[in-house]
Amino acid sequence: MSRSRILLLAVLSLSLILLALLFFLSGGGGTLKEPPPARAGKKPGPQAEIVEMKKVRLFFLSGADGLFHPEEREILSSPIPEREAAQVVEELIKGSRQGLISPLPAEARVRQVYLTKEGTAYVDFTREFSDRHPSGSTAEIDTVYCLVNSLAMNFSSIKRVFILVNGDEKETLCGHISLTKAFLPNFSMIAQ
Amino acid sequence: MPSTKRWIQVGIVGVLLCLTLLAQEIVRVRVSVKDYAEFTRVTLESTQTLTVTIARRRPGAVEVSLESKNPVHILSGPITSRLVRAVSESRQGARLVLTIEAKTDSYTFKHFTVGSPFQLIIDFRESTPQIAPLGPKPEESKPVPTPVEKPAPPPPQNTGLQAAPLATGARTIVIDPGHGGMESGALGKAGTLEKDITLGISLKLKSLIERHLAFRVVLTRDQDVDVLLENRAAAANNNDAQFFISIHANGSYKQRSSGSETFFLNLNATDEDVRRLAYFENTQTELQGRIKADQDYQDDIRMILWDMAQAAYIRQSSRLAELIQAELNSLLGTANRGIKQAPFKVLTEVACPAVLVEVAFLSNPDEEKLLGREEFQWNVAQAIYQGLVNTIREFPAKGNPR
Repeated sequence: MSRSRILLLAVLSLSLILLALLFFLSGGGGTLKEPPPARAGKKPGPQAEIVEMKKVRLFFLSGADGLFHPEEREILSSPIPEREAAQVVEELIKGSRQGLISPLPAEARVRQVYLTKEGTAYVDFTREFSDRHPSGSTAEIDTVYCLVNSLAMNFSSIKRVFILVNGDEKETLCGHISLTKAFLPNFSMIAQ
Repeated sequence: MPSTKRWIQVGIVGVLLCLTLLAQEIVRVRVSVKDYAEFTRVTLESTQTLTVTIARRRPGAVEVSLESKNPVHILSGPITSRLVRAVSESRQGARLVLTIEAKTDSYTFKHFTVGSPFQLIIDFRESTPQIAPLGPKPEESKPVPTPVEKPAPPPPQNTGLQAAPLATGARTIVIDPGHGGMESGALGKAGTLEKDITLGISLKLKSLIERHLAFRVVLTRDQDVDVLLENRAAAANNNDAQFFISIHANGSYKQRSSGSETFFLNLNATDEDVRRLAYFENTQTELQGRIKADQDYQDDIRMILWDMAQAAYIRQSSRLAELIQAELNSLLGTANRGIKQAPFKVLTEVACPAVLVEVAFLSNPDEEKLLGREEFQWNVAQAIYQGLVNTIREFPAKGNPR
């Protein structure tokens, strides 16, 4: 009797362990990557990550030569590259501390950043990104490449950037530059 | 040699049979209906010349009777049009009659034929009174460039959005005044709107070209109205344009930005695009034909092709940009920002050499004042005109450098 009970218990517990293993394995492998927070720059959950800072270089526009000049910032380090990328974009929107120009509308916010395996970062902005844009070819080009260059210079996993506005693909940023394709960085716009 | 004789006889009979078959060749007539801004065009494209009679037997329908020695076969797809409800065929003895039914009784129509391949084109227009298109104002006192190439001014053409491909070989330049309507483009500090400047310069450029060159000019808009970007490109493609010039006034975050620049398309090519591009560059002369051949039944392929249409003309576009920029520099005295590439939406679908001219900066208060001046606008128009003339010398026909 007692032997069969022990056997039964053993079988039961083994099957439980198996079930639990199956659950975690399928759960871990099958779910999508955790999406980045809607507002980057917020502190991540206190229990999960150790707060570690990472140095990045933002590229702002110079009023003197019209080229992009680097400016250092510290962002919260994260194992999820999307979280770091979103912080870089938020920092670009906040603007320069050294009198350089940020060609991203100050009212715009980042909704989401997704990064594909192939290296395309999808940066989704709130509608202010285009609504509050002053329009004009040069202004639109500067907005696009401020973003694309800053992301490509800081993340080797980002090869190109696709801009979304309010979750959707938009025909143009503000009447000129096409947003229907991903942008490759343009390093020739960066000051030497 | 009786067998040789026999073979010759068989050969002759064979050839005769073939000839009779050829004579009995089926005539294929493709019917297409397309809406334009102000009218609806029904096109009958035939593999052989046909004898055609057209009559309006009853108010709501036009009858087209086709006569040919050979059997006629009609090819048509589903029709979705503002004005034409249906096209049906019936036989009356040896004749084939196509009945084009209109959605309304109040319309007028005009028809004309084009040579090889034989085309019968019928344009239906609603007979409500139309607002006359705003023509360029005659400004005789203004500077007039020296006549180049074709000194005889072309006969005035009825241009504007309603202009569609002409039966003649008239070559067309499409001028695109940037923005319009609800979409104002860049805004100057003193309140100047980009859309107004672009229209002013475009109308002046149109009048210069029409006065001195044997080209027809089509404007994508001649009033302060909204025009979709895809329709701007369509104006060039539907008119089989030789050149497409989009006129803009610039805006920058940097207030001191100044000067003129001329853009051509940057395809922002990814690896996959580069392969497609290489393919198109190698087959660029075929591109147009391919697109036309695919029309009606391979919409998807056509869309993909149009999406990359400008890819086939990048080199010519860059030359056009260079030559226009050179004239802007020498004539305007504005800072030279050179020629540049950027992914402008309006240029991507244009299937001919195409550039976008950023005349000067509305965001710069000094240049905003300049842009508002008639005299400056005339100088800009003249500079672009001269750049165009220099380009025409290099590219006598579309996409074919001399």
